[in-house]
Amino acid sequence: MISLVKFENHNAYKGKSRYPYSMSIIDLTTTKKPDSALRLKILGKIGEQKPYNCFNCIRCTSGCPSMKMLELKPHEVVSLAKLGFVEELIASGVAWACATCLKCKERCPQAVAPVDLIFALRNLAVEKEAKVPESFLRSLSAILETGFIQKPQDTVTRKLEKVNREKLDLPRFREPDDKFKAAFFKVLELSQE
Amino acid sequence: MKVAVYWGCLIPTIQYGYEMSVKAVMPQLDLEPVELNNVSCCGTPIQSVNMFAALYLAARNLAIAEETGLDNLFLPCNGCYLMLSEAIHFLSQDSELKERVNKALREENLRYEGSIKIWHTVNLLHDLVGEKRIREVAKRSLKGLKVAVHYGCHILRPSTLQPVDDSENPRKMDELVEWLGAESIAYPEKLDCCGYMLLLSHPNAALTFTGLKLKAVQDWGADALAVACPSCQMMFDMRQKSAGATTGVKINLPVLYYTQLLGLAMNISTERLGLNLNRSPIDELLRKAGLVSTVPSS
Repeated sequence: MISLVKFENHNAYKGKSRYPYSMSIIDLTTTKKPDSALRLKILGKIGEQKPYNCFNCIRCTSGCPSMKMLELKPHEVVSLAKLGFVEELIASGVAWACATCLKCKERCPQAVAPVDLIFALRNLAVEKEAKVPESFLRSLSAILETGFIQKPQDTVTRKLEKVNREKLDLPRFREPDDKFKAAFFKVLELSQE
Repeated sequence: MKVAVYWGCLIPTIQYGYEMSVKAVMPQLDLEPVELNNVSCCGTPIQSVNMFAALYLAARNLAIAEETGLDNLFLPCNGCYLMLSEAIHFLSQDSELKERVNKALREENLRYEGSIKIWHTVNLLHDLVGEKRIREVAKRSLKGLKVAVHYGCHILRPSTLQPVDDSENPRKMDELVEWLGAESIAYPEKLDCCGYMLLLSHPNAALTFTGLKLKAVQDWGADALAVACPSCQMMFDMRQKSAGATTGVKINLPVLYYTQLLGLAMNISTERLGLNLNRSPIDELLRKAGLVSTVPSS
């Protein structure tokens, strides 16, 4: 909490024992120093949006469905990224608690878009080979393999009759050709540079 | 009118009911679907992993759609709609990014221009087909049926990316339901998220999102929930039982695609609409709407 002293001294927080930073990421930030290089990197990833415009009105957090369920606080993510606690944000895994309902992006009076920052954090977590929910990487390998996240699945009717595309008179499903796979692989390599 | 159709991943691999009902209602609305060859995933599932690769996939599918020379591209899936509108937005704002994407597309002799207009089921039916035509084809009135509509997050927000309707007070899908003679109920949870995108990282939280919304809709007395997104249908319909178990509520709510509801009003058979694939209690809805001729003897 040493590094957040500036906020504690702010008039709004003076004399109050609790201030809006109470998530586990804080514990991670107590002994760390902000990382300005990573801060620039993460802010560079989100293009047109401007986290520095955030004035902590907490409108994003008040409408966030993941706040109710998983204590995701978008305004906190924005503040910590601005301060340069990017590595800590990644280590805490909060970015994966977002349901991408986009309400924060829609309702922010300052066009900050916390959800864009959350996607940038996820991308950076993958880049830095941090802990990432495996299924996200599986989607990527499925696309490399078949062009889609999955092949056509067998399913059942309400009467438990097994059906597939053919039985339902739907045309055969076509995967993209091998040229796609080669091109997509190149794109993935390119974006790593 | 010919429209290019891009189905995405979920519809042609598991949500067959959506594909079947869209194809069943299109001819009577004077819409002719044109299938696209060689398309791939839209990019949404890998946005979390690699944003550039996601944008590339979106632009690639748009480029393939542009090759047909058609003016309109129909995207029945909300996820695809947002991903493609994001790609259109970012590539029109950032010429350097557009050049980078086009350089990658050259591998397959493709080029993205940004000339095609995208539509989702809700605005395609509401704006392009229109009230007059829908009222004409809906021969069988669904009067007396109380329907709750669920738009799905990704066609409504953010308002900077040309969503299909007003971001905070959408009306189009409500009107589409009303044009069939049914009542679209007003309920405070209308904009709540289905939870699908959390399924990979926090499955229990995702199912709680689903259960809470289903419970709310049920408590408001709706006869059915109408959706227009395969991901939302995967939660509200396919996972209705697990959502109920996770939240500790007994849920028994028919959930169907708007196109399936429209098909019922057009007198199309339930088999052709893929309604036997819905896991939620559709038969109850059919009985309530007087749409089954054979009432089971009790």
